[in-house]
Amino acid sequence: MSSIKIKSKNLNVYYGNKQALYDVNLDLNEKEVTALIGPSGCGKSTFIRCINRMNDVIDICKVTGNIEMDGVEINDKNLDVVSLRERVGMVFQKPNPFPKSIYDNISYGPKIHGKGETKSELDQIVENSLKKSALWEEVKDRLDEPGTSLSGGQQQRLCIARAISVNPEVILMDEPCSALDPIATAKIEELIDELKKTYTIVIVTHSMAQAVRVSQKTGFFHLGKLIEVGKTEKIFKNPDNKMTQDYITGRFG
Amino acid sequence: MNIVLIFLITIFSISLFFYGKSKTKTISIKDNIKLNALPKFYGYYLVLWCSIPALVFLLVWSLFEPVIIKSIIIETAANQGAIFSDKNEANLIYEKIKAIHLGTYFGDIDSILRESALAYAKFINLFTNSKVVLIFGIIIASVIYSLKKIKNNNKARDDVEVILKGLLFVSSLIAILTTLGIIFSLLFESIKFFSVINIFDYLFGTNWSPQRAFVRDASSITDAEFEELKDAFGFIPLIAGTSFIAFIAMLVAVPIGLFSGIYMAEYASIKVRRISKPIIEILAGIPTVVYGFFAALTVGPFFRQVGENLGLTVSSESALAAGLIMGIMIIPYVSSLSDDVINSVPQSLRDGSYAVGATKSETIKQVVIPAALPGIIGSVLLAVSRAIGETMIVVMAAGLAANLTINPLESTTTITTQIVMILVGDQEFDSPKTQSAFALGLTLFIATLILNYIAQRAVKKYREKYD
Repeated sequence: MSSIKIKSKNLNVYYGNKQALYDVNLDLNEKEVTALIGPSGCGKSTFIRCINRMNDVIDICKVTGNIEMDGVEINDKNLDVVSLRERVGMVFQKPNPFPKSIYDNISYGPKIHGKGETKSELDQIVENSLKKSALWEEVKDRLDEPGTSLSGGQQQRLCIARAISVNPEVILMDEPCSALDPIATAKIEELIDELKKTYTIVIVTHSMAQAVRVSQKTGFFHLGKLIEVGKTEKIFKNPDNKMTQDYITGRFG
Repeated sequence: MNIVLIFLITIFSISLFFYGKSKTKTISIKDNIKLNALPKFYGYYLVLWCSIPALVFLLVWSLFEPVIIKSIIIETAANQGAIFSDKNEANLIYEKIKAIHLGTYFGDIDSILRESALAYAKFINLFTNSKVVLIFGIIIASVIYSLKKIKNNNKARDDVEVILKGLLFVSSLIAILTTLGIIFSLLFESIKFFSVINIFDYLFGTNWSPQRAFVRDASSITDAEFEELKDAFGFIPLIAGTSFIAFIAMLVAVPIGLFSGIYMAEYASIKVRRISKPIIEILAGIPTVVYGFFAALTVGPFFRQVGENLGLTVSSESALAAGLIMGIMIIPYVSSLSDDVINSVPQSLRDGSYAVGATKSETIKQVVIPAALPGIIGSVLLAVSRAIGETMIVVMAAGLAANLTINPLESTTTITTQIVMILVGDQEFDSPKTQSAFALGLTLFIATLILNYIAQRAVKKYREKYD
């Protein structure tokens, strides 16, 4: 049993007057993949955006309750968001490479955090990140081409490389395969398996099959509430809650 | 007369609309026929058939009637024994005849004029009467034709669509033809100018003093005069002055406009944005003549005062004052366009940057601005072409002397100012001085056309990237 990396306690999120999360208590284990499932608009994405404080970007969003990483409160307005996001990377639903070269896409993060003082150090970071995201072989000869010239699946792996370039501890993935074809999806899933040796991963997904394939722990959200959480095997084979049962067997959602 | 006719056609058309609508309804009910279109389409059909042929006829008739009457009258006057040696004298006689007819001629009326005036009255009468008869004939014919069509339950909807398409086509044709007309008139007058003044003397000359050529007939210019005129039309001081003032304007407008655009797009809350954006756009709504007298009466003298206190010689009409005010005028163009392009950079790019720990200003500097750059360049180029074409401010604040200078405190002049100077007041249309205005206009037109083209290409390139 691995140790707890992130722990949320009575986490509530409001968008204006609308409450999006209700008292979520969820623990994420270190170096493990946690999958969050549930119908659209149930709060899965909102939850993971609390972990790297991406909700700050939305003016009307208000977060109450506690969420801790390694025992340190994340939801604290004195916390340095820049260093939090250095430790918690994120991959989005749609691949969003910057309109820059492949090299600059990866070196962007390290430069911002003052890592890689010399060109050769930066080169090393770029190469390592691309190797970890299994993209190196495909792009090593064209690092100065724009990131947007890659295929969808390659772009998403580029975004994963960008996320791991700053050497985070946690990677959040918000439906990373929803815009990809099955072959690209398989590649990303393979990659996630590899990455969990080094990183704590949280993945939001609409695909039950994907949750089963990649995760060790699964949380089921419905209408802003965490209905059930447990080992992936148990959630899919023998859930405690009737609603979870109905959802995973496709009776609603 | 024409107004009465148009009024009658309108009234008639409107009543036909209701007639056509109810008529087709009754037909369909009585004979239990399924109509090919809604009754109102038959109404439109009648209206279009009743009005368009008659109006087109009226327009064509009104265009040609004066020309035809004139040629007939001049001919009859000639037959009566009137003597005129060229076109201008013939025109004079025609105007006299018209004035006699209207009772506003107070000179001596000889028998030739009197006879011609009577003939004129006769022809006017004849033409007016036949116009009215013909128009009613056309209306009746087209209404009979369209009513017959309606009775046969034609596809009125399709026909109305075709006619409307035609109307829209004609409208755009008018716009295009007008543009072409302007371009060609610029071109022809410029060619006349360049037949007197060598195009290379114009493009590379450094001396602009067109008043030397004032009232001198281009067709009868002597060699000596030509030598003298040769270096009077040097374009360089004007393009230098224009670019210089535009450059000063850009120094003001680009940083302020761009930064306020960034603030509006990235930092301002919705509430601030809602209030301040319209206020900035009011700047764009101020007439340029108001900026002009502000520049000439307030800013110019202020700079001279400050200059005197500092021991500098500042002309009260200076490039600096004109450029500064022009820059302020252009701020809203830059800010509002760059605000738009920054806004259309997808949020996902910002999210990607925030997610690796970039701050807001790092994100703007390294991700948002580079992504929006083609669009921003486009907006700046559009602003430049506006600055180059701007007239009122420079006429009032920049001065008239074509100095070739890069001292912003001296007065200088621009292409547009010179065009104004050349064309105000009395002028001889054959003089190279007047024709030089067309050459300047053509040059200016080509310059702004190229700038606009580049700007639109830049904006388009940007659009393709994210749509």
